[in-house]
Amino acid sequence: MVKRKFFAPLLTGVLAAGLLAGCGADKASEAGSSNAGATAKPSAQAAEQVVNIYSARSYDVDALLYKKFTEETGIKVNVIDGKAEELIERLKREGESTQADLFLTVDGGVLNNAKQAGLLQPATSETIDQNVPKELRDPDNQWIGLSTRARVIVYSKDRVKPEQLSTYEDLTSPAWKGKVLVRPSASLYNQSLLSSFIELNGEEKAEEWSKGFVANLARTPEGNDRDQAKAIVAGVGDVALMNSYYVGLLINSDDPEEVKVGQSIGVFFPNQQTTGTHVNISGAGVTKYSKNKENAVKLIEFLTGVEAQTMVTNENYEFPVNTKAELPELLKSWGTFKTQQIDFNKLGVHNAKAIEIMNKTGWK
Amino acid sequence: MHPNAVKVQIKRRLSGWRIISLAGAAVILLPILFVLLSIFNPPNDNWVQIRQYLVKDYIAQTVQLTLTVAVLTALLGVTLAWLTAVFDFPGKRFFRWALILPLAIPPYIAAFTYSTMFSYTGVVQTTLRNRFGIVPNQELITVSSMRGAVLIFTLFLFPYVYLITKSFLERQSASYIENARLLGRNGLSIFLRIALPLSRPAIAGSVSLVIFEVLSDYGVTSYFGIQTVSTAIFQTWFGMYDADSAMRLAAWLMIIVIGLFLVEMLLRKRRAYSSTTSKSRPLVPRRLTGTRGWAAGLFCMIVWCAAFLFPLLQLIVWAGWTFDSMWNAGLFRLIYQTLIVAVVSTLIIMIFSLIAAASNRTRSTASFVLSKAITAGYSMPGAIIAIGVLVVFLKLDKVWAAFHHLLTLGGIPLVLSLTLAMLIAGYVIRFMATGYNTVEVGFEKMGRKYTEASRMLGHGMTATFFKVDLPLIKGAVMSGCLLTFVEICKELPLALILRPFNFETLATKAYRYASDEQIFEAAIPSLLIIGISLISVYVMHYLDRRWEQ
Repeated sequence: MVKRKFFAPLLTGVLAAGLLAGCGADKASEAGSSNAGATAKPSAQAAEQVVNIYSARSYDVDALLYKKFTEETGIKVNVIDGKAEELIERLKREGESTQADLFLTVDGGVLNNAKQAGLLQPATSETIDQNVPKELRDPDNQWIGLSTRARVIVYSKDRVKPEQLSTYEDLTSPAWKGKVLVRPSASLYNQSLLSSFIELNGEEKAEEWSKGFVANLARTPEGNDRDQAKAIVAGVGDVALMNSYYVGLLINSDDPEEVKVGQSIGVFFPNQQTTGTHVNISGAGVTKYSKNKENAVKLIEFLTGVEAQTMVTNENYEFPVNTKAELPELLKSWGTFKTQQIDFNKLGVHNAKAIEIMNKTGWK
Repeated sequence: MHPNAVKVQIKRRLSGWRIISLAGAAVILLPILFVLLSIFNPPNDNWVQIRQYLVKDYIAQTVQLTLTVAVLTALLGVTLAWLTAVFDFPGKRFFRWALILPLAIPPYIAAFTYSTMFSYTGVVQTTLRNRFGIVPNQELITVSSMRGAVLIFTLFLFPYVYLITKSFLERQSASYIENARLLGRNGLSIFLRIALPLSRPAIAGSVSLVIFEVLSDYGVTSYFGIQTVSTAIFQTWFGMYDADSAMRLAAWLMIIVIGLFLVEMLLRKRRAYSSTTSKSRPLVPRRLTGTRGWAAGLFCMIVWCAAFLFPLLQLIVWAGWTFDSMWNAGLFRLIYQTLIVAVVSTLIIMIFSLIAAASNRTRSTASFVLSKAITAGYSMPGAIIAIGVLVVFLKLDKVWAAFHHLLTLGGIPLVLSLTLAMLIAGYVIRFMATGYNTVEVGFEKMGRKYTEASRMLGHGMTATFFKVDLPLIKGAVMSGCLLTFVEICKELPLALILRPFNFETLATKAYRYASDEQIFEAAIPSLLIIGISLISVYVMHYLDRRWEQ
């Protein structure tokens, strides 16, 4: 009796384990789309049009866009979210067996890493070339920009006049001692900012800047970009480095407290007279071993089209790559500004050096 | 007649059972050894700068965090254990079990809940600002700092110390304490001179559990941006794409762990084993009257609110806000995935535990070493096991691909490192101890008489196991199953690294929501994890109560 009672579940368990492990490879194709959770049977893949995305962009607006894309084309979108570095690590490991068709991420440096690792292939299409200006695409079209964001100086409207602000470099001057805020060095946004300085001014100058900047910090870096804005309003510091779209997200938050924070800070675009404001990109690349390349290209075409671009900028306050997109009021109010003129791929090239400089200068 | 006098020497041949146990132990140790041996690989350039600028900080922060938490959990846990075991005060009957509840809230969930509650736009500061016009010093009120991490770990891990020390005091200390009272000693002096030295092994054992939890943590430290060796392993690996240096860091962390392990063994060395079924009288609690009674009750109440009630209420409120958007097929799929992988891993763990423990019932050095090897995973931080398992699987993949090619099977070979097998292997190695220890205790309590009788009457090992052993240790197996299952459902770092694509557990989902600044969305998966964990708290409480009868 005991035997049977004990063995039946055991056997089932072992069988289940075997099946699970065995189907692991197939199961990877059943990516639950981010909101439907429905699954596509691998056998039905041929009949059903799909595109599988590895995405390090986790914004609510993306899910809306995929839904719209499916409505328009009938192509089902499966998404797997993850950190960019993890996704790249996985793509390398999966090699030819990968189910991913499209890799989406923020940061030009990461896009370049994916390209250098041989994980992407060119996405050639006239529509894409028309939608996206040349400087916002990889020279070989291995990645295509979807949106841009500026890393700006945000200041307290009460305590700082915009006239006092000028450049990133100026934040290292004694006037700002104990008043500067920034998130930790682990953030790609900071790493790429420093990479851009390495590209523009050389390693030595970049290290000097990092050292001076760290010396002026109001507190040990902590939290994320939004937390820096909150810290300004709470009086911890007067100025912070932040991505531009967070200001839009704060002002339009569901949480009235966040709205207050957003309204009491100002946005300043630094280095207008010199090298220009640091801009980073988020983009997409078709994976080298994509099984649904056509669909992947279609999705990029859709995402860079006027309608989708207008949605991105109005929902997420990023800058569109498509010049025909309609900007929200807030972005219109910021006006145009001069941007850094560097090749986005360089952000990846200098990344290791940037991390080393941050470690060396004690940027936590 | 003394049972030892009729000790029957069972021939210890290499039976099939033994072989399985040895093979299992080897599989468990393989990834761990892999990591340890990486110390002997030549370092790369990256390691040079990591060593130059960072390692000192990492180790200093890790040591600072673990030591502070160890001291504070010991203080809080022992104080509460002493109060509830030795005294009677208003609310004691409730707090006796309620103070175990914080164990149901994993520290990483507590971390993002509290840091959001205390952030500038969180409920605490908003209330202070809008109701009372107070803007507190941000430096002092922020939770996402070293201080905050210490607080979180202390509040949510002290029940380990509390539970184990309380049981010990209730069971073992009655006669000592009563004698001391008769001899006119007062409370504090009894506590310091009798209870503390007596319960030292219980405290050391439970504090070491806490230390291993902290060392293994990735959720709290990474969320608060505290650089420990565990978070550094992740950063080096994923931030710098440098698996070699990550392995090397993991190896250093392992050396720290092994060092701690040795310290703990030394501390426990002089422990007198008293059997758990001893018939020592339970302690008769003394009534605390008047203000002192209320003060004791209030103290327990404050701790309980901070460590359980407040975060739970906050999560329930957030869950209410996001219920409509979260309660859908995606969530059910998440629950299903979490449960299935936990069930499969638990089954593997329990089957192997039974085999290994059944064949390992002698008191020899060899069997001690074997059981230590089988349970080695528990004291290894998740990041170490994850990186070890990953490297072993990648090697397997290479071998398999070549083999596949040799057989010219055509098509693309199945890539093992993309399957659930990898995550399950990680879970099994990490939580073997939870299953094995409960089974071992079951066998110890049952003694060897029945087994020996059965073997003498001519039954083999296997028949004896099913007819005699298993029915007798059913209870231990059940609680082992439950405890292991819950541990797996809560686990974060392993799952983050080893999960196959399109696969999320409740823990990884909750953590990812939190790190993507979608705290409110993280509430429902978090509450589900807490719900599952409450089962294990109940089991612990139930076991604790059973001892008393």
